[in-house]
Parts: sequence; C-alpha cells; structure tokens
Amino acid sequence: MKNRQTQGLIGSILALILLAILPVKLGSHSILGLMHLDVSILSEMLLFAIAAMSVNLLLGYTGQMSFGNAAYFGLGAYGAGLSIHYWDVKFIVATLIGTGIAILGAVVVGPFLLRRRGIYFSLLTLAFGQVFYFIAYRANHITGGEDGMSFSRPYLGFPGWHVDVREMSFYYAMLILFVAILIAFWLIVRSPFGRTLQAIRQNELRVRYLGLDTNRFIYVALIVSAAMAGLAGALYGLLIMFAAPLMLDWHQSGDFVMIMILGGAGTIWGPLVGSFIYVIGKDIISTITETWQIYIGALFVICVLAFPRGLFGTILNAIVRRDVGAPVSEEAPISEVPWDHGPTPNAAAMATEQKER
Amino acid sequence: MLANVAPSVFNGLVLGAFYAFVAIGLSLIMNLTGTINLAHGSFLTLAGYLAFTLVSRGTSFWFALVVAPLLTVVVGVAVERLLIVPLYKRDPMFSLLLTFGLALIAEEVYRLIWGPNGVPFSAPGILGGGLNLGFMQFPTLRLFIALVLALAMALLAIFLWRTRFGLRLRAAVQDTEMIAAMGTSTQMLYMVNFAIGIFLAGLAGVLASGLLGLSPTMGNALLMPAFVVAIIGGMGSLFGSIVGGLLVGLAISVTTLYMPAANEIIMYILMAVVLLIRPRGLFGTEGLFG
Amino acid sequence: MADHKISRETFIKGAGIGTVAAASVGFPAFIPSRGEAADVLRIGLVEEYTGVFAAYAVSETRGAEMALEAWNKRGGVMGRQVQLVKEDCQNDPGVTVQKVRKLINQDKVAAVMGTINSADSLSASNAANSLGTLFMDSGGHTDDVTGKDCHWSTFRTCHSTWMETHATGYAIANKFGKKWYLITPDYAFGHALARGYEDVIKKIGGTIVGNDLTPVGTTDFSPYLTKVAAAKPDCLIVLPQGADFVNCLKQANSFGLLKKIPAAGPQVELEAIWSLPEAARVGYWGVEWYYKGDKVFGKSNPMAEAFVSQYRKSHGEPPTARSCFGYVTLDRMLWAMNEAKSVDPVKVAKKLENARFHSMWEGEAYYRGADHQLMWPMWFASIRGKGTPQDKYDVFDVLDSQPADKIEQSVAEKAKVCHIAYPA
Repeated sequence: MKNRQTQGLIGSILALILLAILPVKLGSHSILGLMHLDVSILSEMLLFAIAAMSVNLLLGYTGQMSFGNAAYFGLGAYGAGLSIHYWDVKFIVATLIGTGIAILGAVVVGPFLLRRRGIYFSLLTLAFGQVFYFIAYRANHITGGEDGMSFSRPYLGFPGWHVDVREMSFYYAMLILFVAILIAFWLIVRSPFGRTLQAIRQNELRVRYLGLDTNRFIYVALIVSAAMAGLAGALYGLLIMFAAPLMLDWHQSGDFVMIMILGGAGTIWGPLVGSFIYVIGKDIISTITETWQIYIGALFVICVLAFPRGLFGTILNAIVRRDVGAPVSEEAPISEVPWDHGPTPNAAAMATEQKER
Repeated sequence: MLANVAPSVFNGLVLGAFYAFVAIGLSLIMNLTGTINLAHGSFLTLAGYLAFTLVSRGTSFWFALVVAPLLTVVVGVAVERLLIVPLYKRDPMFSLLLTFGLALIAEEVYRLIWGPNGVPFSAPGILGGGLNLGFMQFPTLRLFIALVLALAMALLAIFLWRTRFGLRLRAAVQDTEMIAAMGTSTQMLYMVNFAIGIFLAGLAGVLASGLLGLSPTMGNALLMPAFVVAIIGGMGSLFGSIVGGLLVGLAISVTTLYMPAANEIIMYILMAVVLLIRPRGLFGTEGLFG
Repeated sequence: MADHKISRETFIKGAGIGTVAAASVGFPAFIPSRGEAADVLRIGLVEEYTGVFAAYAVSETRGAEMALEAWNKRGGVMGRQVQLVKEDCQNDPGVTVQKVRKLINQDKVAAVMGTINSADSLSASNAANSLGTLFMDSGGHTDDVTGKDCHWSTFRTCHSTWMETHATGYAIANKFGKKWYLITPDYAFGHALARGYEDVIKKIGGTIVGNDLTPVGTTDFSPYLTKVAAAKPDCLIVLPQGADFVNCLKQANSFGLLKKIPAAGPQVELEAIWSLPEAARVGYWGVEWYYKGDKVFGKSNPMAEAFVSQYRKSHGEPPTARSCFGYVTLDRMLWAMNEAKSVDPVKVAKKLENARFHSMWEGEAYYRGADHQLMWPMWFASIRGKGTPQDKYDVFDVLDSQPADKIEQSVAEKAKVCHIAYPA
C-alpha cells in the first residue's frame, strides 16, 4: 500500500509538470499551439475541474449528488463582477467576494437540502438551482438579465511585474490555485472530518446512532462544496470578463456532474481528467465540425455504458483490482468507491475519535 | 382584473392537461424501472417531425397522429433494448446521464435531417380554429388535447386494471423481484412499459407540434416542466401526474396574471415545497426511491 | 483465477482506452490545418450554429461565403486570398469570448465578424476590443453595441433596435391606432425595442395599455394572450424573435386574436415566416431587407439581382436579410482592408468610417463615424401567407421604406452614451 501511495504521488507530480509546461513555447509553437488551443481555454479547464471537484466532494464523501452546484458557480461569477462594477475592487478581493456570495447561497439553502437524502436531495438541489437562475435572469437591472454583465479584469500579479501575455499569467495563477485546492481536498479527505463524511456515505444511520449530528457534517460539506464552486465561478467570470445567467442553469450543473463522471467520481484526479476531456474535447471538436453535439452526446453515452467509473477511475480500478482482487459490483450506487484513500474507514472508531475532540 | 381571472384559470387548467400529457410518459417509465429519461423531449420532437413528414407526403393529420407515435415507439424500443437495458441494474443516475447524452445527439440529428429552421406544422381545419366559450375564445386544439388525454388515460386504465398483462405490470411496479420469481419475463414488462411511455410521449409530441413551433429544440423546452410535473404528482402514480400537471398549469397561469416575473420560478418553488413536505409527491407511493 | 476469456465488456473497455490514447496522441493530425500559408488572410466568423438561432446563422454564413468567393475571384485582398475561419459560439456569451480569443490568438485572424444573439454580440465586441481587434457585428441588434458599449473596434451592419422601432412605430400608429399592447422578450434586445416604441408613443401621444415581459424560450403565450384579448388594444406589438415569435403568433392565431387585433412589430425574419403555418402568417412588420421589389432595390440594382439569382441557384431558396448582413459585412470589411492596404485594425476602422457605398438597396449607405452603425434604410411590409403564384417564398409585400437618418438617433443624441476613442 505504501507502494500505491508513492505511485500516486509520482503520478501526481508528473501530471502537474505536464500542466505547467503545456502553454510554454518551444521554438515558435507551444504544445497548446499544436493542438490549436488558446491558453484561455486551458484556464477554463482548470476552473471547471475545480467546479467538478465541488460536486465530487459531495458525492464521494457524503454520497449525495448535487444537480445545483452551478448556482454557486454563477453566484461566484456575479459576485466578482458586481463588486468590480460597483466598488472597483482588486482581483483577490473580487474573488473573495464572489466566493462569499456563493457560500451565503449555500448557508441559506442548506437547511432545506438537509431535510432529504438521495434522489430527493438531488431534486431539491435542482429546484433551488433553478430558482437562483431565474433570479439572476429576472433581476436584470442589476445582473443585465439574459445579456449578462461585462466587466473589466483588475490586474493580477505583483506590482511592477510585467508579464507579456495577460492570459498566461492568469493560467499559472490558476494552476497554483488548482494545486492548492487539490491539496486541500486531499487533506479534507484524510481528516477526521473527511472520514466521518465517508462513514456517513456508507451508513448514515449508524453514524447517527453513534451520537454524531450527521446534519451538521453534511451542512459543512455543502458549504465547502459551494465555496469551491463559487471560487471556480468567480475566477471564471474574471477569466472571460463576463457573467451570465446561463452559468447558473441546470445544464451547467449537469455539465459539472458529467465532467466528474467522465473522469471518475470519487477520485482526486478524476475531475481534472474529465474536465480535460470535456472542455478541451468540446472546444476542439466544435472547431472541427458543426455537428459537434453528436460527438459529445456519443461521448456521454459511451462513458456511461462502458466507463461508468470514468476514464481515470477505470484505470485506477484496474490497478486496485490487482492489489485487492475484488472488482466493484456494477450494481453499486454511483457513490460507491473501492479505493478509498486508505483502509475502509471504521465508523465506530472514527466516531469515538470525533466525540473525544 | 376579475374579468381576466376566469379565462386565466380555464386556460391554466387546459395548459395543465397538456403538461400532464407530456409528463405521463416520463412518469410511466420512471415508475417501473427508475429510469430518468432526459431524452423525453427528444422523443416528443421526433414524433412531431415524423408527423410533419407524413403529412407533407400526403397523409391526413389523423393518420399521422396515430402512426407517427408508433414509428417513434420503434425508435424508442430500439434505444431501450440497446442502451438502457444494461443500466437497469445500476444506479438510476446513469440512465439520467445516458439520456442526457442522447438528447444532445438527437437535437443535432434533427437539425441535419430537417434543417435548423422550424417547419410549418399545424392541426387541420377543424382543430385549427377556436370555440366561443362565452367568456373567452378558446383554441379548439387545446381542448382536443385535453380530450385525447382523457381518452388515453381511460384506455391506459383499462389496460392496467382489466388485463392480465396490466396486472403484472402493476405488480412489477410494486415488487419486481417477486413478479420475476413468479415466472414473468421482466424484460418483456420493461419493454412494453417503455413502449407505452414512448407512445404517449409521441402522441403528446404530435399535438405539441400543433401548439408550438416545430424545430429541433422544441422538446428541450418541454422537458423540465414534464419532469417537475412528474415529481409533484408523485412517483408511482399516473393519477398524480394528471393532478400535478393541472396544478402546475394553474399555478403558471395565475402567477402570470398577478406576478408575471415569477411565472417560471413558480413550478420550481412548487417542486421544492412538495419535496420538502411530502417527497414522494402528492399521490406517490412510498419507497420507490428509498 | 477464474476463466481468462476476455469478456465483451473488457474488450470494449480495452478498445476504448486504446482509441482514446491513440487519439490524444494523434489529435493534432486531425485538426485541419487552418491556413498555415503565410499569405492567406484569415477572417473569423463566429455564429450560433447550434441552438435556437441556427437557421439565421446558416443564412448569414451563406451571405458571407458569397462575398468571400467574389473577393477571391477578383484576386483577394492586397493580392492575398481570403479564408473564413468559422466557430460555433453555441448561443452562449462565455463560449463566445473563448472562441473570439481562440480566433485571434491561435488562428491569427485579422478581424472577427458575426453573432446573432445580442448577448453574444456584446461579449464578442468586448473580447475583440480587449485584444485590439476589429469586430463587425453582422446580426446582433441591441442598441448598446453602438451605444453605451461602443468601441472604436466595433461596427454593426444590421439595424439597431432604435432604428427598427422608429421605422415602424409611426406607420403602425397611422394604420391601426395609438393604443398598443406589447409582448416583450425579457432580455436587452427586447427591452431596447420596448424603449424605442415607448419613445414613439410619447411623440405621437398614444398609450401602451399593457407590456408583458416574457422569458426567452417561452413555449406558452396563452396567459399573456388572454390578457391581451381582455385589454382590447388597437394593435398587438409582438417583439419576441425566433422560436418565441413563431410560438406567439401560432398561439395568437389559435386564440382567434389575430382576426380581431392586428399584429405588428419592429422586425420579422423570412426564416420565421417560412416556418409558420399559413394561417399564422399575418401582420405588419419591419423588414431589414428583401430580395425583390423596386421599393427595396430602386429602379435597377444589378448587384442585388446578381446576388439573389446566384444565391437561389446555390441554395434553392431566396436570400434573407441575414444573408444580406453576412454579405455586406464581409464585403465592406475586405474593401476597407484593401483600401487601407493594411490589416491594421485602426487603419481599417478609419477607412470604414463614413465611407459611402452602393450595395443591394436603393441609395448610398455608410458606417457612421459617431457610433459605427451602418446607416441604411429600413422597410415596412405586410405578409401574404401563400406567397405569389410564381414564387411561394415571396411572402413579404413591401409597403414603404424609411431613410436611415429619419429613424436612427442623431449624432448628438448618441454622443451622450457613445464615445469613440482610438488608441493613442
């Protein structure tokens, strides 16, 4: 198992190096140039990966599927945009305000969501997500309505540090942030809090019998998830210098879920792999052909039928099977993951540990 | 203002019947297998386009009204057997994602076959006009839709409650394992159930094409209302879908009268309220989704 | 271990992973090389090829491609052949920004044109401006593109919403009366139209007895139509476009409304009328261009006639106003580049400004220096549902035309919101 951890670490570092050199120019072409992409879309990939991670957090660690995370994403974008429009704030402040608004949204909606689990939870997230969407749509004196809101991007970087390509510096800032969030995600997962969430996912009733208020844990998970989505949204708004109601719509939420599934639900790198496939794939395919929707739709269909664990998840599953020997049953719920980072959490042990704090 | 209320209420109820019609196929399919069919709108649109093609080749509207849904069923059953059957034993979330992908494919395929611009399609002369109801002039087509809905429900009820197959279907909704243990082919049940659901969707689609502009994106706009109605009415209950539809139609119509800005949100608020108070829906059966 | 027979699933998975791996390595090979030749002049075309405006996108593209062919046949621009690089902005302003950036940064286009949805036009205009590149809005109508969001690098071909309302408002009032009921799509384009008509109504002393804001994508207009019937206006003003326009008219017809209350509006598209059943093809509408008639062409217009006949031959149906937008936009853009002997956006923009030209309508037109709006006439037409015996597509009966300076805001008025400032 130590072996697996080192393998994972090496793989992660390699992946990060790859991400870092993608936009760099070798001669007159960057790798991105060969793939005919702009560095801006690569930043979008990272941000959508973060948004998918927010859904992943809830699914993998509380077992609940959210179809409304785009609402927080959009609230983040509008929060950033509105704060720049009305108060002319700096980059980091705009990002924080956007994230804050998203968190506020979750704080307000959370208590309602907590009352249900499973499919009803998912439907509630959808319903509330749509309510936020329509508010953004209708409050068009503030938000610009369907036309959305343009705003300028405050300078990002150290004063006096002259960077040639605006989007390039944005990308590297996003990469650093992405790594930070990845590490944070990893830490949360390994913490007693994370382990309690996994125990809740496995059997909520049992955890409750052990004396823990599961609602409180899920509420915190909701807020963390919303914060991640909101952060991604605020940065996305700053990336494209625009906020639009479509960012809150259920189609956007569905995209985040799809990205998570494409890469692999319940894994740490799944969302990034999924985001690469979806964001970059859609960009390239829509450039090549006008009938790109057929290919993207076919991608979803094939993924669900043949790769329900996602691309990264399937590879990981194959590796785990070598060690553990037992495949994940097909009938397992979508939130079931066999390779929990470490041995199967012992709910009783964790709960006792939690209580003693 | 009061003069507006009666027409709005009436219109809302009939609109609700339309939404119920659109939702009933979705509900039927969800009930038995837990399949959440996000391609439902696409089947609606397909039936509309097939009807349009039939009518432009010279058949009558009535012929197309029956045949187009049947052709759609053929496509639907093919999709079910090939793509959805593998998902029956899996988490229902997968069927949702798969059908999401199918809807994307379908929209583009329609664009390729019938063009990006909408095509002109309308109900024939008798249905095209309006009836003078005294307090308002009302489109005959909408009343016709309500009539067809009532008829379809009656036939469905007879099928479910008076035939042996229908009995098995109802039993399977209650307890699939038991009915399989008693020797019934569950695959046959699933297929027939799906076929009926698609037929109803097709029927609703042909009628919808008379109401709305027939274009590749027509079904997309109807998907969410259908979904919301099915949830509100209740999983596991067809009667619930009808009541849910009427309720949603009425709510939208009345909200438009007094607070137009909220008329799109109202159905989601209703959905949230139902989910919070009685998640299985107004007439749903307990335990369908745990 | 159990049997080693490869199950079907494993095979699919293996094949799948293998294909994905091969594809991701070989991907660059699949991307068609986009004008690697240094002497090709690339122009970006951003349109909504998927979504509800797909039909208009196709029309605009066809028009642009005809202009492209014409220029390339004549030897290109400054001796260089021109290539159109198309991107689908998917009716999403966020995607629009990314595509514009890609066109400018990766494909190295000299300029960008296109968009139909006003939201996409605004975001494309801003994105192009932030990268110092020319953007010509062929089909997005909102006033703001040449109003409060104007840029030195942005030009607009189609009429502005103010032009549309003022070309039609007075005629509507004269024909039907001054009590209007408005159905307005709830986005900037719709609001701009409503504001335009409110201005006309104020000037003629009429009243707006009702104004319902409908969400874009409304499928059911019945709640609004019942209100309209009850309010008994002189005229129903229908502002929604695209699918909403079709739904609204179809349903208004089914409620018997159109027999009692005339429908009218600032703009109608041929594509929309063609997709309506005959019974719903009614009303009096603003028309931005039409493919025949001396009210549009003047006494003789060989350029227009050639355009129409060639278009009909290639595509089997007549060109629409959208085709005209696409053609004129690319044609003038390339002309300006050729005249300026440069692709430098500032030089090209300055050449475009106020340059008078003849095109596919009567009289001269020019992109006004104050706001970069194309100043050209607009027409008013009624609908004949069946077309004519010779031509089933000929559904517009053009009644009159209005010159641009009568229908658009004056330079002084525009100066209050728009300040064109070239970079130093």
